[in-house]
This record gives sequence, structure tokens and C-alpha cells, in this order.
Amino acid sequence: MILGYLGAGALLAGLVLGGFSALLSFFAGWRQADVFIQVGRRAFYAAAAMTAIAAVLLEVALLTHDFALAYVVEHTDLATPMALVAAGFYGGQEGSLLYWTLILGALGTASLVTAASLGGRVLAYATGILASILTFFLFVLAVVASPFDLLTITPPDGLGLNPVLRDGGMLIHPPVVLAGFAAFAIPFAFACAALMAGRTDAAWIRHTRRFALLAWSLQSAGLLLGMWWAYHVLGWGGYWSWDPVENVALMPWLATTAYLHSSQVQEKRGRLGNWNFGLVILAFLLVVLGTFIVRSGVVPSVHTFAISAIGPWFLGFLATCVVFSGALLALRIGVAESRPAEAPLVSREGAFMLQNLLLLGVIAVVLWGTILPLVSGMLGTERVVDAPYYQRAAGPIFVFALALMAVGPLLPWRRAGNATWRALRWPIATAAAVAAPLLATGWGWGAIAIGVASGGVATVVTEYARAVRRKPSVLVIKRRRYGAYLAHVGLLVVAVGIAASQFGQQEKDVTLQRGESVTVAGYTLTYTGSEQQQLADHTEYIAAMRFGDTALAPSRATYAGLGGQALTHVAISTTPLADVYVVLAGTNPDGSASLRVLVNPLVTWIWAGGVILILGVVLGNVGEREMAGELARRRIPITLPA
Amino acid sequence: MSALVRWGIPAAVVAVCVGYLIYSASGGSTVYYVTVSQLRSQSPAGDVRVAGVVANDVQKSEGGLHVTFTEKDGTDTLPVEYTGTLPDIFQPGITVVAEGRLGKDGVFHAQTLLAKCPSRFSTKPYTQ
Repeated sequence: MILGYLGAGALLAGLVLGGFSALLSFFAGWRQADVFIQVGRRAFYAAAAMTAIAAVLLEVALLTHDFALAYVVEHTDLATPMALVAAGFYGGQEGSLLYWTLILGALGTASLVTAASLGGRVLAYATGILASILTFFLFVLAVVASPFDLLTITPPDGLGLNPVLRDGGMLIHPPVVLAGFAAFAIPFAFACAALMAGRTDAAWIRHTRRFALLAWSLQSAGLLLGMWWAYHVLGWGGYWSWDPVENVALMPWLATTAYLHSSQVQEKRGRLGNWNFGLVILAFLLVVLGTFIVRSGVVPSVHTFAISAIGPWFLGFLATCVVFSGALLALRIGVAESRPAEAPLVSREGAFMLQNLLLLGVIAVVLWGTILPLVSGMLGTERVVDAPYYQRAAGPIFVFALALMAVGPLLPWRRAGNATWRALRWPIATAAAVAAPLLATGWGWGAIAIGVASGGVATVVTEYARAVRRKPSVLVIKRRRYGAYLAHVGLLVVAVGIAASQFGQQEKDVTLQRGESVTVAGYTLTYTGSEQQQLADHTEYIAAMRFGDTALAPSRATYAGLGGQALTHVAISTTPLADVYVVLAGTNPDGSASLRVLVNPLVTWIWAGGVILILGVVLGNVGEREMAGELARRRIPITLPA
Repeated sequence: MSALVRWGIPAAVVAVCVGYLIYSASGGSTVYYVTVSQLRSQSPAGDVRVAGVVANDVQKSEGGLHVTFTEKDGTDTLPVEYTGTLPDIFQPGITVVAEGRLGKDGVFHAQTLLAKCPSRFSTKPYTQ
């Protein structure tokens, strides 16, 4: 009970402090009043601290089973394991918003503490923008959807958690995805602040580089963890279904990927300033759009969205962000550098530019597929697109983007000469050698994608080989570059896994008597019998299968207390080339079992590639901070335009 | 050649290609998304997705690989037939989306059957 009051109080205090920080910081930036800038910044820290206090209180309420709080009742019960009770913090709508706000406050604080070198006005405006976003979230939390609402009568137990969600994936996937979204508010805030202050050099990019990388890494990991979870737990044999919930997480990732590349053109060559502002703003708007779509239920999805009062508020927030950033871009676009890009098309700059255009193309494809029900619903009968739409429209663009990963790293800045063409012979030869035999198997675009991805790996290998031959220490000194190449390899491995499993998947639905076998894609499984186990709240039917020397036990649980809801436990046997994936549809009175057997080639490559990708980002940036820190310590005086 | 032309032309080429891909891909793979009563009143041609609630008459055979049931909304009902593994949370009372077409026999033959999955942590909102 008391936790509810304290939590609501902390949220209200945070709301007031955040609003105060926003107003004061904008005013201070406009008047360049140093004292007010300091006060505004500290008010932001205080608001972030209040958010943290509220988060701790909610977690305490969950862990102590304080059923006076509606949120605790609706998301946990006494039987729920403690780890999942703790995860209830971000499991429900209100709690996940609080988690978002917590991350925003923490990362916002980290970005402002280290931002002194950017100059007073940028700092003030960045504080103002971050505080505005924080205030919006705290307003929604305190007024519209509070996790601290109290029940008039305290029930003895909660309602518990749906069995589908009682899984370890629940512990890691949601917080990583949400943190990835929240983190991208930092580059957005500093980009807008730089535009407002008229400081359009690359200083904001350098300052927020780590936050953009963090956001991108978290988004990448979040997407892959979600795929992993769907594949291992949901039991439909795949990992991606182009559902709106997945699409709205993919789009910001694509925009962030584009930005990580184009920002280098500005850092290294001082070009594409306007473009980078546009991309950062686009990425953030896609995050907000995604949040609105997920929270409002405006498009049909397999997921039952928690439709609630916060939908309109997020629409309003989205509209405000669009108008604010659009106006800022329109008014300030002339101020940003408008020197013509001197570089010819065939150059590193050209490759980055083309990559950006391709990724924007994929965003357009996904966005259109996601909002089509909304658009067509306004014009007449609602229509939706199938997975083949995305495969046909986005697939070819992805293949071109993969090809660019083979070519781009070999192109020098400014112009490509004959040496470049010579360097390209290895990736091209590799791509051809890999794609040719696969094309004969009839995989079509899949064969081309795998070939092109192999070419990309060959490119990275030649780059590493060249460095080792000339001066191995360069691998450590220029680790940002070589770490990025490793991340490229990770993504290419993911791409090969996706292409192989999309084009090579085979499946069979069978009913087998005891002792009978089924063969799918050359893999033979034998059904040896079934058993039934009666557990506390569910009955488990287990089919025993033999696959070579391994025993597989796909099972199906039935929860009587939930109206007979079933929960399948997939059995997966991983061989070097493919996963054998067995789903038990049911057991029959005559002792036979009905099964769906899938053979998914190279799915493990997707997870392995994800690990390599994150490793590349981490290795490329460990200790990279020194240089940035050095610049900050020197406190280079900056003259501001009036 | 000015920078605008040099960068504008490739940008325009990419934009046109993407536009064409979207146009050509959506041609074959858009389907109508309707409720049971909309299907009854409009009877759209080709494949459709029909959303509705599963009624209390689910009949499973072949170990659950074949299922027939009635999908209903406030006003109309639709008999549905489906072969394949069922979504875990499939049971009377939940909302499903069946994709397929209405046969001459008056039965909706579904190729895919999606259940609305609980993205909420809770089983249902608490009411006093």
C-alpha cells in the first residue's frame, strides 16, 4: 500500500522536475545564461533520480507480492518463479513504460555529464529536449497509465502469468529491445540541439557515437533474441513472421544502421551534414511510431496489443516530434554545410550513400506493408500483406546491400583507381565460386545472397590479411575499423543463415504409429512411444523420438486451469548443417502421435553471427574512449554564432 | 556535372526501383482482412484473412493435425476447416485469424491459422 503512494509520489516529483528542467533549459539556451544551464541540467538529473526511485519501488512491490497494487496482481502470482516476478517490472504496459523512462533518464544523465565540451547552448538545448521526452513519459506514467494504481480490496493472490510467457526469453528479450529504443533518444536530442544552436559540425556526432552504437547493438541483440525466442519457444518452425510488432522493431534498426555509416562520412570527410540530421531524426521518429503502433493496436497483429488510453497520447507525441524536428530541419537546413560532395560515385562516400539509399528502400517497403491495413482501412475494406510481399520486395534490396558489403570496404575515400579493381578480384571470385553450385540446386535469390555474402567475408579476410602482412599492430590501433569489419562478418553469417533457412526449409506433417519412421530432407526420425505426466497445474504429453543416436522428446502440456490452453515444447536437434525441429501436435488414443517435422538449414548460423556481430562492436570500441576523453579534458573553447 | 545531378540520379534510380518492387510485390500478396460478418456481407474474391472468436465446437482429428470449428463475431458465424499444427493458445473463446478461402461447400478452408498471442504479461485484467 505505502509503496503505491511513494511510487506515485516519485513519479509526480519527477514530472515536475522534468518539466522545470525542460522549460528552464530552453530558456537558458536561448539567453545563454550559464547558471540556468547548470540548474536545468541538475533538474534533469533529479528527474532521472526520481524515475529510478519509482523503478526500485515497483520492483520491491513485485518481489514482496504487494497485492494492493493492481499492476502486481495483474502480472504475477505467488506461484510465479522469482526471476519472472522480477521480470514483471517490464512485462506489462505500465512497467515497460517505466523501464523505458528509467533507461532514458540514466543514459540522458550519462550523455549530459560528459557533454561540457559541446558548448553551453548545445548542452542547454540537449538538456531541454531530453527533459521534454522524459517529461512526456513521466506524464503518461503519473497520469494516464500508472503502475502504482491501488486496488480498493487487496486480493490474497495475483492472476499470474500466461504459460507462453513463462520462459527465460522473457527475462532478456524485452529489456534489451526497450533499452535499444530508449538509447536512440540521445543522438536525436543532441542532433536537434546542434541544429537549434546552429552548430552543424560533427561535434554532436562524435559525442553521441557511443550512444548510437549502444542503441544499435541493443537493437541488433534485441531483434536476434526475439527471433531466438520465437524459434525455440513458440514452436511454429520459424523465427520471423513479418508481424507489425517485428516490423516496427526492424525499421529503427535499419535507420540506425544507415546512420552509423553515413555519420562516418561527416566525421572523416566533413560531408553529408544535413543527411545525418535527417537520418537521426528519422530513426527516432520510427521508434516513436513503432511505440504508437504497438501500444494503440491500430493495425491487426498476431499479438494482442494492450489497447489502452495511452494510444492517443503517443499519437500526439509522435505528431509533436514530427512537427518539431521537421520545422527544425526546414529552418536550419541552409545553415548546415552545403558544400557539394566532391567525391565521384565509385568511392567510399558513394558506397555509404548507396547503402543508405538501399536501407531507406527497405524501410519504405516495411513501412508500407505495416501501415497498409491502416491506409486501406480508411479507403475501404482493410487489406494486409503476406510474408511473400516482404520477401519479394525487400529480398532483392537486401542482396544488393550484401553486395555493397563486399565492395564498399575496398573502395578508398574520394576516388577508386586500378588498385581497387584488382582488390575486388577475390570477393568476386569467392562469390561466383559459392553461388554457382547453389544456383544449380534451384535456390535462386537464396543462392545469390549466400554467394554475395561469401564475397563480403572474402573482402574482410583480404583486409585483415593486408593489415597482418604490412603491420599487425594496426589491427589494435585502428580497432574501430577492424572491429567494424568483424561486425560485418557477423552480419554476413546471419545473412547466410537467414537465406539458407528461408530457401532450404522442408517440412512434413505426419501421424506415426509406434516404431514407424519419417524422413525429411534425408533426416530419418523414429517414433518409439509416448507417455503422460500429471504435474501440479498441467498435464504433459511426451512423444519419444529417436534420431540417429539422439533421443528427442517433443511434448505438449495442457493447462486445465486456463480452459485447456496448450503449450508445446519443441524438440530441436542441431546438426552441423541443419536443425531437425519436431513439434508434437497431439497424441491419439491408438498410441500414435501426430507431428510436424521441419528441417531448417543453418539456423544456428543466425545465432552465431549475432554473437560475432556484438563481439565486433565490443572489441572495436574497448578503450576507444581515450581520444574522446582527451578532447573533453582540453575543453576547447568554442565560439558560438549569435 | 553538379553534385545534385551526380547524387540525385542514383537516388532517383534507387527510388524508382524500390517503388517498382513495392508495386509488383504487393500485387500478388495483399489479401483482405475482414471480420466474419464482413465476409458474409461482402464476400470478397480470392484469399482473405478472417478474424473471429473460436466457438465451443472444436473437433480435432488425426492427433490434432486436422481441426474443424466455428468462427464467430457478434452477428455471424463461419465454419472453418484447417490442417496443420495448431497455435498453442488455440481454444474456444480466443480470437483467431484464419487465412484461406470460402469453398462452395460453405466451409472456410484455412491454409494458415494464427492465434492472437498474449503480448501482455497477465492472463486478464483484474476486475473487482
